[in-house]
Amino acid sequence: MDNKKKKWTEVVFSYLWSAPSLILILLIVIFPILYTGYISLTNMNVYHWNNYRIIGLENYKNALLVLDNGFLTALLLTVLWTIVNMVLQLVIAFLLASVLNLKGLRLRNIYRTLLIFPWAMPGYVSILLWKTGMFNSQFGLLNQWMAKLGLEPVRWLGGDVSAFLSCTVVNLWLALPFMITIIDGALQSVDKSYYESALLDGAGWIKRNFYITIPLIKPIIAPSVIITTFTTFKQFDVIYLLTQQVGAKTGANIHTILTYAYEKAFITNNYGYSSAISIIIFIILIAFSAVTNMKPKEER
Amino acid sequence: MSGSSRRKRKERAGLLAANVFLILLCFVVLIPVLYAVSVSLNAENSLLSSNFSFIPKKFTWNNYRAVFLEEPVLRWLKNSLILAVATVFISLGTGIPAAYVFSRKNFPGRKVILQLLILLYAFPSLLSMTALYRLLTPMGLLNTRTGLIIVYTGTMAVFALWNMKGYFDTIPVEIEEAARMDGASNIQLVTRIVLPLAKPTIAVTAMMVLIYVWNEYIFAINFMTGSDTYTLAAGLYSLQATEMSGSWPIFAAASMVVSIPILLVFFALQKNMQTGLTSGGVKG
Amino acid sequence: MKKILAVLLCMGLTAGMLSGCGKSGQQDSKTDAATITIWHDKEDEVAQVLQEELEKLEPEVHVVLEKKSDLTEALKVVGNDPNAAPDMYFFAHDKIGVYAEMGILAPITDIIPEEELNRYMDMTLEAATYKGEIYQLPIYYETLLFLYNRLYMSEEDVPKTTEELYAYMQEKTKGGHYGFVEQHSTPYYAAGWIHGFGGYLINEDGEPGLNSPETIQALEYHKKFVDLMPGETEYATVNTLFNEGKAHATIAGPWLIPTVKASGMDVGVASMPVIDETGAPVSPYTGVQGIQVLKYAAENKSEAVEKILRQLMEPDIGVKLAQASGCAPANEACYEMEAVTGDEVVMAMKETAENAVPMPNIPEMDVMWTVAGNLLTDVNMSGKDVTESANEAQKEAEQLIESMK
Repeated sequence: MDNKKKKWTEVVFSYLWSAPSLILILLIVIFPILYTGYISLTNMNVYHWNNYRIIGLENYKNALLVLDNGFLTALLLTVLWTIVNMVLQLVIAFLLASVLNLKGLRLRNIYRTLLIFPWAMPGYVSILLWKTGMFNSQFGLLNQWMAKLGLEPVRWLGGDVSAFLSCTVVNLWLALPFMITIIDGALQSVDKSYYESALLDGAGWIKRNFYITIPLIKPIIAPSVIITTFTTFKQFDVIYLLTQQVGAKTGANIHTILTYAYEKAFITNNYGYSSAISIIIFIILIAFSAVTNMKPKEER
Repeated sequence: MSGSSRRKRKERAGLLAANVFLILLCFVVLIPVLYAVSVSLNAENSLLSSNFSFIPKKFTWNNYRAVFLEEPVLRWLKNSLILAVATVFISLGTGIPAAYVFSRKNFPGRKVILQLLILLYAFPSLLSMTALYRLLTPMGLLNTRTGLIIVYTGTMAVFALWNMKGYFDTIPVEIEEAARMDGASNIQLVTRIVLPLAKPTIAVTAMMVLIYVWNEYIFAINFMTGSDTYTLAAGLYSLQATEMSGSWPIFAAASMVVSIPILLVFFALQKNMQTGLTSGGVKG
Repeated sequence: MKKILAVLLCMGLTAGMLSGCGKSGQQDSKTDAATITIWHDKEDEVAQVLQEELEKLEPEVHVVLEKKSDLTEALKVVGNDPNAAPDMYFFAHDKIGVYAEMGILAPITDIIPEEELNRYMDMTLEAATYKGEIYQLPIYYETLLFLYNRLYMSEEDVPKTTEELYAYMQEKTKGGHYGFVEQHSTPYYAAGWIHGFGGYLINEDGEPGLNSPETIQALEYHKKFVDLMPGETEYATVNTLFNEGKAHATIAGPWLIPTVKASGMDVGVASMPVIDETGAPVSPYTGVQGIQVLKYAAENKSEAVEKILRQLMEPDIGVKLAQASGCAPANEACYEMEAVTGDEVVMAMKETAENAVPMPNIPEMDVMWTVAGNLLTDVNMSGKDVTESANEAQKEAEQLIESMK
């Protein structure tokens, strides 16, 4: 009896404490998504902004017509983009954080601050700087250096593969500071005594990392990694601004589902139709997270 | 030759290599930034000039002067600050207790909510912009700071809850139990024990929220209709968005101006971010 | 913890201090019948002239000119909301179809009787008309011009035909220099070539013409020019090449002229080259810049709106704009004045405008910019087959237009 009551108060307490946050999320995130779902069932567009009516699944029918091969390619590319970026991000951030945590590195705080700089700049500013300052085939620093080395100028953002790689570089540049900070913090929380005993056992650097460091920091960085995975998945600015901006297309044919949907639905000013596309993307996301089984790990 | 001195020498060589590597790396990483700095200080060439050098041949502050005198940068700065502070306060204020119970308590619905939250985070808020717009308008929240704060807190609340919950999970529960034995209430437990231990994650989360608000421009441009109400990011975006008026040197100068406050905050918070759990002596 | 709080408080305090410097009278001005907010996205020179002219109406009417860089998207979002929308906006005529359909625009003739508008050039009124109603008070128009750098290209060298241009490009494009550059994969710029062949992006009935034989012929012909131009095609690259003397000639808008003059270039303006195969010149789009009135303002602030419109109808303003930024006035009366007829740029624009095609103002045009841009990118930069790409683009355009409805 007492136990049951105690449990009951626990539940009330839990919901009470999380209520502000959950209500906020409900109102500002969930409700608009539901409302988007509602809009997707109407013919709301430029011609019918206020006098729209419900037209059922008509928009979905049209939307599915658009989800042709191009969309599938975009979906695959999005997955590839997410995987490549996440793997590179984790490996590079881990290595750099390890170097930053070397014993006796006096200037580590200066390095940390300098390496964090890309984080402080607004994303699109950095992207535009990269685009015109680095990659531009006429004036970009990269091609100026190529010319000094006597090499032919390259259109970095022109070909599909080179554009993909260039976008990856920029995305890494933008995203690594966060990952380094997270892993750096996690590494510091690892009790140094583990290493000492491992050193006595004669374990090498690789072994130490695989058997001690990584298992220990995994739970600490896991939530941030999951979140970053989704941030990468929904990355729009990098690819769009670098290669697909209207009036400044580079000829590279790389689309993520977001840039693709943007081009196919959002320019029509048919809000019912673009909402249908949004909901379809949402459903794909649900499927995606179900397949990859990204459910929160229960550590306790 | 004893083994230990050989090890020391090896260590020193390793440190030297690490330093050289890091200095090079910092330089490489900062090239685009240095580039912008140089452009913003250079009197004669534009960002696209074909003969670039990192050290300006003719030095000028004019671009910075233009940023402060010709554009309402101070007002944008004020707007950004208000939005950032409010959003950080609200999303941490609501996020910390929620993250705490999601980490510590086991209650029905917990797992489902957590899964739902990560899904919500994955959904780009841009896609529900039409809906958000139509919801804010009748409430008279369009073109107000409150409206933007609402949009931002909603987006960041999910992030804050998730990120902090994950960190709370790694704080051993034993100390709390000990404190509870001593008769500490829930609130005392959180403010006296959990929060100090969770400083790094709170700092990082606050930083992330801050940066998000600082850099977000799409909602700011669409929901704020006068250049008076713009945030720094929105104002900066509008500086370069029109073909005919885009002035790259001024843009470069403005992007430096925008970045510096974030860097200052970062300096101030860096200690907190780096304080590992071990300093609290609890891990293990 | 304390530190985090301290930093936040610090920022809050700074914000509080900063709020001292800006007065926040913005909100109440919206309801004031004598205050009119006008959005625009024009260069400073133009805004300056407008500001000065409209200040003459003080204190009866107070005009707030606000520069809004993504005005067109913002209007779609807030156009219906009198609290957030402006009272009028200054922009090219090509969006009036969209906004008229949205029901946010009031016809100009609601305020100014139609007879009084006949002082404007026919072309500009045509551009301002959508479904029989005039939605824009035209102020000036602009079209692309053939610009050349006199340092490299003498007046005799200026190509009269496109084949001459091609020969010039072949000869001069080397060692980092280009004979001629343009934004070849941007529809606004490429449209001139398509029109020159008799093709079009979209006709008045809202039917796209991307795979018509004329358009395909134009794309195919244009390709050899593209091969002699740089890979990047956006505004910044093309204009910097010209501005820094790396390109001898370009096709650009009049707004580029003040910039290149400021950098010390002796810039020449010539008429568009004639396409050898058709005998028609490259015929770019014209954009008519003018002022549009939002419905709410027309209904509730008609007096102030009328005063502003009447002020802007003075021929003076056309002359001042011509002097300030080389804008070609829409008001016929301006062309009787020495200050306008003596302006090389304005007169060149007038000449080009005789062949130019007003930008379509129907809502369907909205999607064409993207689709046509993709087609041009595919053909010019990815080297895809012209006919195939054109057919695909046509299909896509039709599909998108279908889904607009």
